[in-house]
Amino acid sequence: MGTQVKDVIIKPDAPSSLLLDKHADYIAAYGSKKDDYEYTLSEYLRMSGIYWGLTVMDLMAQLPRMNRPEIVDFIKSCQHECGGLSASIGHDPHLLYTLSAVQILCLYDSVDALDVDKVVEYIKGLQQEDGSFAGDKWGEIDTRFSFCAVATLALLGKMDKINVDKAVEFILSCMNFDGGFGCRPGSESHAGQIYCCAGFLSLTGQLHQVNADLLGWWLCERQLPSGGLNGRPEKLPDVCYSWWVLASLKIIGRIHWIDKAKLRSFILACQDEETGGFADRPGDMVDPFHTLFGIAGLSLLGDEQIKPVNPVLCMPEDVLQRVRLQPDILS
Amino acid sequence: MAESEEEVDVLVQRVVKDITNAFKRNPNIDEIGVIPCPEARYNRSPIVLVENKLGVESWCVKFLLPYVHNKLLLYRQRKHWLEREALADITCTLLLLNPDFTTAWNVRKELLQCGVLNPEKDLYLGQLALTKFPKSPETWIHRRWVLQQILGQCSAADRSKKPQQGEAERGEAERGDAERGDAERGDAERGDAERSQQLSEHLARTLHQEMKVCSDAACRYPSNYNAWSHRIWVLQHMGQGNVKVLHDELSSMRLWVSMHVSDHSGFHYRQFLLKALITELSQTPASTSSPQQRCSTAPSSSSRLHHSQANGELSEAEAAADEEWQLSANTVLQLFHQEMELCSDLIQSFPGHETLWSHRRHVFYLWHHWRKEQQQKGSTNGESRSEVLSSNGDPAPPTLSAHSSAGGGGGVNGQGHAAEAMEVDGASLPDPRDSKRLKTGVLPPSPPALPSEPSFVSGFLDGCCNPEQRRFALAYKKWLDTVIGQQP
Ligand SMILES: [Zn+2]
Repeated sequence: MGTQVKDVIIKPDAPSSLLLDKHADYIAAYGSKKDDYEYTLSEYLRMSGIYWGLTVMDLMAQLPRMNRPEIVDFIKSCQHECGGLSASIGHDPHLLYTLSAVQILCLYDSVDALDVDKVVEYIKGLQQEDGSFAGDKWGEIDTRFSFCAVATLALLGKMDKINVDKAVEFILSCMNFDGGFGCRPGSESHAGQIYCCAGFLSLTGQLHQVNADLLGWWLCERQLPSGGLNGRPEKLPDVCYSWWVLASLKIIGRIHWIDKAKLRSFILACQDEETGGFADRPGDMVDPFHTLFGIAGLSLLGDEQIKPVNPVLCMPEDVLQRVRLQPDILS
Repeated sequence: MAESEEEVDVLVQRVVKDITNAFKRNPNIDEIGVIPCPEARYNRSPIVLVENKLGVESWCVKFLLPYVHNKLLLYRQRKHWLEREALADITCTLLLLNPDFTTAWNVRKELLQCGVLNPEKDLYLGQLALTKFPKSPETWIHRRWVLQQILGQCSAADRSKKPQQGEAERGEAERGDAERGDAERGDAERGDAERSQQLSEHLARTLHQEMKVCSDAACRYPSNYNAWSHRIWVLQHMGQGNVKVLHDELSSMRLWVSMHVSDHSGFHYRQFLLKALITELSQTPASTSSPQQRCSTAPSSSSRLHHSQANGELSEAEAAADEEWQLSANTVLQLFHQEMELCSDLIQSFPGHETLWSHRRHVFYLWHHWRKEQQQKGSTNGESRSEVLSSNGDPAPPTLSAHSSAGGGGGVNGQGHAAEAMEVDGASLPDPRDSKRLKTGVLPPSPPALPSEPSFVSGFLDGCCNPEQRRFALAYKKWLDTVIGQQP
C-alpha cells in the first residue's frame, strides 16, 4: 500500500516573488463590493475582516488608502450599552470583535473614539471563577477568549483590572502532554489555540511556564515537504496555520527550528498573480484573511519590503511602540 | 422571475413559509442541502422535500439570504417589529443557510428563555445545519448552551426534591438507592423517585443523541476539531464519573478509529477516554466502589468491601481494599495492553500515518505516568500494594502482545481466571491479572519496560521500504529517548 502524504505540490510556474502592489490593490478594492452575496454571508465577522484588511495594508505601508473617518464611525456605532463591540451594526457584542475593534483603533491611534472604561468593564465581567473568559454573555468558554481579553486589556494598558493569576491558571490547565494547548481542558492541541495560549502567556509575563523544547518540537513537526505548515497532524498545509505556528515558534524562541526558505516559497506560491491576495493553498481562492497571514508570515521570516510584525498581536511593531507595549519573547 | 423589491418580498415570504411547512409536514427531515438549479421553474416552490432530505434550489438563495439577514438585523436594531413565530421561522431559514451568524442563534436563545422554543427543537435545528456545515463553530457553541439549559432544568428539578442526592446523571447509582429505600418511603417520595428516574433517563437519551450528532459530523469532515472537542465537553458535563459510558465509548470508537487512521481528532478522543477511565479506576478504593458498581453488570466484590468496612474489621477491610486496588490496577493494565496492541496492528496495516505514531506517543506517555504513580502509591501504602508491581517496581509493559480473551469492558470484574501467556519478543510471562500470584508476591521478574518499544521501532528501521514509516519511527524513537528518557 502506498502512502499518501497529505501535502501539496508546488508547481514550477507558481509565483516566487512578492507581488506587493497587487495585494494592496486587492485589499483596497475588497470593501467596495458591499452588496455582494459573499459580503452579506461574512457580515457576522465584519469587524475582524476590517482588522485583517487594515493590518495588512499598514504592514505594506498602504494604510492611508483606506477610509479612516468612515471606519472609525463604524466602530463607534458598534459599541453597545454593555461596553462590548459587535462585528457589525445590529449584531451582538463579543470579545472577538471587541479585540478587533481595539486593534483597528490602535492602528489609527484613536482608541479614545470608544468609551474605554466600559470596554474594560465588559471584559472584566466576562471572567469566570476558574479564571477563564466567556466570549459573551451567553457563557461559551475557550482559550481564544482568554487571549482576546488580555490582548485587548494590554493594548488599553488595563491588564490590572482582571484576576491575572486565575486567568493564567486556567490557560495552564489546557496544556497537553505534547506541550501544546487546546480550546478547553482535555481538548486536543491545535496550532490556532497554541498561538492564543502562547500569546496569552507572553502578555501576562508567564512564558517560563511553557515547555519550550517540547512545544517547539510539536510545532516543527507541522512543517511538510512542500515547506508549508499545517495546524495538526495529517492536515493539509495552510497559509493561516503557517502564521500561527511560525508566530508561536517566534514567541517561544524556536523559530530557527524550521526550514524558513521552504516556508517562504510555500507562502509565495499561495499568491494569485492576477487578482492579488493570498489563498490558503496554491491555486485556491484568495481572501483578506489569508492575505494578512501570508504577508505577516513573510514579515516574520525577515522580508524587508514589509514592516516588522509583532508575533503576539499580529500588528506592526511601530504601532505597538506607540502604545508602549512590548510583549515578552523567549530567546 | 421576481426582480422588483415587492416581488422579492412576496417570493421570499412564501419560501420561508414553505420551509416552515416542510418541517411541519415531515418532522423526520435529517439532512439539508442546496440543489444546483440556476433558474426558477415557473409556479414551483424552490423548496424540495425528497424522502427525509430538504433541498433549496440554488437560484433562490441569493434572494432568500439577504432578505432574512436584513429582516433580523432591522429587528435587532428595533427598527422593525417581528412576532415571535416569525422570528423563529426567519432565524431557522437564516441559520440553515449561514449557521455561523451568531446573533441569529442568540435570538433563538432568547426565544428559548421565554418558552417560545423548546431545547430539543433547537438541538434538532443545529443537527440539520451540521449536515451541511459540519464544522460550524457557532452551531456547536449554541448546542452547548442548549445542553446546559437542559442540565440546569434537570438538576433544579432534582435538587428541589432530594437536596442531599448527587448529580442527576449518575442514573444507575440513583436507581439503586431508590429501590433500596422504597419500603420506608411514602407515595410522594416514590413519585419523586420516578420523576428522578425519568430525568436521568432523559439525560441518558440526550447524551446518546449528542454522541450520534458528533459521530455524523466527524464522518462528514475529517479531523473535525469542533465535533470532537464538543464530544469531550459532553462527557465532561453529562457523563462525569460514569465508567460505563466511558467504557461504551471506548469500545464503540475502536472500529471507528480503525476505519479512520488519519483522523487525529478521533484518536485524541480515544486518548481522552483512556485517561478518564484510568483516572476513575485509579482513585483510592474507598471512593472507587461506586464506579466499580456502575460499570459491572454482576455484583462485584465492592459490596463485600462496604460491609467489612462498616463492621470496623480493619484488617479485613484493608485486605478487601487491597484486593480492589489490584483489580482496578489490573483493569488499567489491560486497557493499556489492548490499546498498544491496537496501535501496533494499525501501524503495521496502515504504514506512514503520523496520526497512529502520535497516538502511540500519547498512550505510552499515559502508561509511563500511571506506572510512576503506582510506584509511588506502592511505596507509601505498604508492601502488599507494591506486590502488584514486579520486583523492579514495574508492572508489565503495555507493549506485550497480550493474547487477551476479554474484549471491551468484559474483564472489569477481574474475577479469578487462568493465567494467560503473554509474549515479549518470544519470552513468556504470566498474566499480571492473576491476582493470586500477585498476592503471594512470587511474580517472576518482568523485563524492563522501555526496551520493548525500541524493539518495536527497530522493526521499521531496517529493511522497511516505506520512507514515511521510517521517518515516523525515527521521530518516535527520538521522542522516547529525549522526552521519556529525560523524565525522572
Ligand atoms: Zn487557512
